[in-house]
Amino acid sequence: MSEAQLHTHVIRAGSVKENDEQLAGNTLLTDNLWRGAGLALVIILWQIGVNVGWINPFLMGSPVGIAGEAWRLIQSGQLLNDTIATVYATVVGFLAGSILGSICGLLLWFSRSVARIIDPFMVALNGLPKIALAPMIIIWFGSGMFSKIMLAFVATFVVALLSAYQGTHQIDRNLINLMRSLGASRREVFTKVVAPATLPWIISAFRLNIGFALIAEIGGEFISSDRGLGRMIFVAGNLFNLNVVWVGVIMLMIVAIVLYVIVSQVEKRLLPWEKGHK
Amino acid sequence: MNASMAASVTQAAPRGAQGVQRHSVITLDGIKKTFSSPGADAIEVIEDISLDIKQEEFVSIVGPSGCGKSTMFNIIASLLEPSDGSITLRGSDPKCGARVGYMLQRDLLFPWRTIIDNVCLGLEIQGVRKARRYEMARDQLTRYGLADFADQYPNTLSGGMRQRVALIRTLITDPDLILLDEPFSALDYQTRLVLEEEIVSILKEHHKTVVLITHDIGEAIAMSDRVAVMTQRPTSVKKIYDVGLSRELGSCLKARSDARYQGFFDSIWDDLDIQIAGGES
Repeated sequence: MSEAQLHTHVIRAGSVKENDEQLAGNTLLTDNLWRGAGLALVIILWQIGVNVGWINPFLMGSPVGIAGEAWRLIQSGQLLNDTIATVYATVVGFLAGSILGSICGLLLWFSRSVARIIDPFMVALNGLPKIALAPMIIIWFGSGMFSKIMLAFVATFVVALLSAYQGTHQIDRNLINLMRSLGASRREVFTKVVAPATLPWIISAFRLNIGFALIAEIGGEFISSDRGLGRMIFVAGNLFNLNVVWVGVIMLMIVAIVLYVIVSQVEKRLLPWEKGHK
Repeated sequence: MNASMAASVTQAAPRGAQGVQRHSVITLDGIKKTFSSPGADAIEVIEDISLDIKQEEFVSIVGPSGCGKSTMFNIIASLLEPSDGSITLRGSDPKCGARVGYMLQRDLLFPWRTIIDNVCLGLEIQGVRKARRYEMARDQLTRYGLADFADQYPNTLSGGMRQRVALIRTLITDPDLILLDEPFSALDYQTRLVLEEEIVSILKEHHKTVVLITHDIGEAIAMSDRVAVMTQRPTSVKKIYDVGLSRELGSCLKARSDARYQGFFDSIWDDLDIQIAGGES
């Protein structure tokens, strides 16, 4: 216990954090008030502009119109169906691509020569805008949900693979030497050092991949599909029904935020040791 | 230099071992290391190191910077094969490396493991049952005043505490030889003196044989039974000093304030200096 008192660092760090948290709570509240006020102002000015005739609702849509369409789409169940379809394809493709990609990237640690050989292909694939593959993938897998899942998969797989693989390269050589000196096998080095040390890289790839999966999925729906928010936006846009386009865009934003929050929560759960840094 | 302060330069057995027949824990015999890479000239880092370290001895290796200390470290830790010569660790080949425990300047605690899980690392690899290894780890943590931190992550501890945890992690697997590579150089001066003292007494308590690799002459004199001074690269053993102040006086701090301390310091400094000047000409 005398050690604890000697090293006041721990105690001080704790109290500073408490103050920070209190401060953060207060700023968060005022920040949110300002955000809400700003948003309300824009919406009110927009509606006034439409009513007075400064803004053409045919080209821009109007808040009242958007609300009306949203209500109609919610009541008919179409919004829910389209959202479910989009979220389902995005999440399945995202999870499959990110998890498999991360596993492959981690496993590349075992073989430097395999990694070296496939490296240029991975870099080329990574640079390719994955949406360019959409026409092909739709031809192969049809215009249903499965082609959208595949698109999200392709868009996320390479990012996750490269990120995990790069993560394995950043590991402190000394940690691996320490394991060796303790008599650890290669498999133990992998499970006890390589995998946990790479986890922060994997999580950050997951975070990026939410965006990539959504882009690929919506892009796929634009090209050919029978349901989903992307299709809803695309069809409404062609009909110059800007209010419905807005409903779709807002819904997509909500989906993106929810997915992002989920990944952040998972991150907190999986990386408890990173808490002290924040 | 004052003659009475002049260090005795011998290869005699350590003071602590007087009268007792102790066997060697590690014997380096004619170790050589040359790094060669295609298209470049081979670099000879270690010319010839022969050193015999007895049980429970504390030996420091001091050398000018760039003399290949980390190469020496890696060879003793069995992380690197010597180009020539042999290492014998308690009569057996140390290739598996499991019997040498080491501690570096950086504590190398795994940030994703709690303190107790860090301490358990070696036991886990040795296949000790979970309940048993937790029990052992808790005992040790309690003994060194770290029990309250068992379930914390390393980033909440100070540098000195982290080094203590690293030492416990090293000791708990009961290695025959403990290899220390500048374990204090990242710490502030006070913490360093405290930890020096603490580590020497812990290691003595556990009857450990220790090799300390350092560039800090004072640290080497304060802690060691013997100090081996190295030449500039390609390295060989220049002189071996029989120090033993901390063993005789029972404390590193007392060793630092002993009259003989400065004598050892000056001689070792001279040894290093000559080599540095020689290297530059």
